[in-house]
Amino acid sequence: MGLEEYLALWCGAFGTVALVGYGRSLAGLTPAQRAVRVMGRIERVREPRHGSSQRDGIPVVVSFQDPSTGQEFTVTNDADHGERITAAWTGREVGVRYPRGRPHAYQFVGDLWAGRRGLGWPNFAVFLIYAGLVVFAAIDWGWPWALIGFGGPWTVSGMFYLPQNARVVNRRIDALTSQPPVPGRVIAVLTDTSTDADGDTMTSSTPVITFTTHEGTSVIAYCPDGRPDPVKSHGRDVTIHYSPDDPAVFTPDLAAESRSRSLDTAFSVVALLLGVAAVVVGVVLL
Amino acid sequence: MTITTSAPPTRSTPVALALGFLTGGVIGASPAAFVVGCVIESVPLCVAGVGLPVVYGLLFLLAGAPRRAREAAVVPRIALAVVESREAVGGEATSDVAVRFDLTVAPDDVPAYRVAFTQNINLTDLPDYRQGVVVVVQYPPDRPWRVRIVKRPTPEWEDRAADARLDSAPGPVLVSESPEGCGVGFVTLLGLLLAAAGVVLLFRADLFDGDASDKPPPSSSSPSPSSSSSSSSSSSTVVSSAYGTVALGPNQSFLTNGELRRAVGLLTKGTDSRAALTVVVKDRLLSIVYAPTGSTATTFDPDSPPYDRFPALVEEARSGLGVGSPQTWQLTVERLTGSLTVRVGVTGPDGAASLEANGQGKVVRRTPVH
Repeated sequence: MGLEEYLALWCGAFGTVALVGYGRSLAGLTPAQRAVRVMGRIERVREPRHGSSQRDGIPVVVSFQDPSTGQEFTVTNDADHGERITAAWTGREVGVRYPRGRPHAYQFVGDLWAGRRGLGWPNFAVFLIYAGLVVFAAIDWGWPWALIGFGGPWTVSGMFYLPQNARVVNRRIDALTSQPPVPGRVIAVLTDTSTDADGDTMTSSTPVITFTTHEGTSVIAYCPDGRPDPVKSHGRDVTIHYSPDDPAVFTPDLAAESRSRSLDTAFSVVALLLGVAAVVVGVVLL
Repeated sequence: MTITTSAPPTRSTPVALALGFLTGGVIGASPAAFVVGCVIESVPLCVAGVGLPVVYGLLFLLAGAPRRAREAAVVPRIALAVVESREAVGGEATSDVAVRFDLTVAPDDVPAYRVAFTQNINLTDLPDYRQGVVVVVQYPPDRPWRVRIVKRPTPEWEDRAADARLDSAPGPVLVSESPEGCGVGFVTLLGLLLAAAGVVLLFRADLFDGDASDKPPPSSSSPSPSSSSSSSSSSSTVVSSAYGTVALGPNQSFLTNGELRRAVGLLTKGTDSRAALTVVVKDRLLSIVYAPTGSTATTFDPDSPPYDRFPALVEEARSGLGVGSPQTWQLTVERLTGSLTVRVGVTGPDGAASLEANGQGKVVRRTPVH
């Protein structure tokens, strides 16, 4: 079999996957489209135990109603129930998704409507077809086509991402600085120890903070990375800047946010330039 | 919905054994095919080595999908349970430890029963599961041995557990995992070894005998001094851009029916048709001299001479031209005069003689001993 036959086989296989996926999505038959998506409400929040694991998220009790039967369910975020809840307060809304007729298989989701069309696998299949075509072009026509083939989409996506990301970061910092900060405290440090294949032990520490907003909402949340010496931070007082629209958006270190913004922009620009350079070099070498 | 409770599955059923053998076979055949494919430079074999586990994994997933869907549709049952005993069985180096629990589970609507299972528990949570403590558990009603402690029960069940006093149930203890039978492990290993050996044996000829003959010679447009060779007890083959030879082992002869055709096939297999200047057969040696790039000499396709007629031509030259015996002979194919010519020269104690045949193997000239 020659290279063309392998390419045809590759494109045929993944093209079939993509067509079946898009067809199922158009017909509304994907599991993502058939899933029930409801908004749940946090009824109770419990402080995590100092020294326990951060894997299961902040212990919460959530209630939600099945829209088809009207039945009310009260559940907890025990193991294997979707996304980890890292910021919680009584009354906070959390997304709950489950297969139709199976509310016991509930999953917590941050964005309730993400992936609602179920196009993840077909899109991935299309990407693999594109990658196959680029590899074929690189082998058959010359390797500079690999630079053009991969650098082009990289550059285009970077051009969309860069301004969008800058807007999101600016909005976040504007929200964090829109009102005076509130005092907070580290109420626990969660510790996870694991061993790698060589038997080396790795320990990660996650501080948990609590703060009360100006509106009187008591928030318990995992502290973002970057706190100095998180292991010894238990009981430490912190100053919290938060977004009035969503207290889950907060920071104990406003200066670090600005530094992070600069670093993020620099990385994005470098990544974009790499894409442009790849395309230019590819075109020149053709 | 009627829920039927079945017994815990055992692992050494014929199906499990067959599945273990098949899985071992795929694990063994896949890397073996990939490595053999790389060695003999066979792209289809390399692709098969990579594709086999992917296809097997997909089939495995598809085959198990109905069972998983059936199990996922079952609403788990929540119940109270009392810890009879617990024992750490592994994972001490991490923050989670594997704990072997022995519980009495007391569902509301069926009799209490004992069950043993293993679950990972965080070290800081371990005091919550002391002997005699009432905990909340969850299990599928059709598989009551698959019990899991609910670490974060709902407030309702938390209150029930706090107020409950449970008695121990008598045995026997349901075991969530049946003891690992060595049968499955053995057949898996057997399948792995057999499949790996099978792949190697299947391609042994290419791996050990004919890898040089399978290898396409370097492009005729760029003659290279490099050559490849292989040998075995029966024959040895040398191929380069300029020539190809096959030397037979002792007790073999190119005059055996089909032997010449097979030897020529070894030299030309897997290559583009290359023009030959001369084909020479002498005793147990076959040589093909290829035309260099840009040559204006008259050439011919090395597959075109009438090889099936060669033994008869040699025999006629040896017996019909009066050279006596013992003899030596040499057969040469060329196209110097425009048409394909087969010339058999033979020498013996009485002198030298030759015989000439055309492209169809028909004798056109005899030059006997003078």
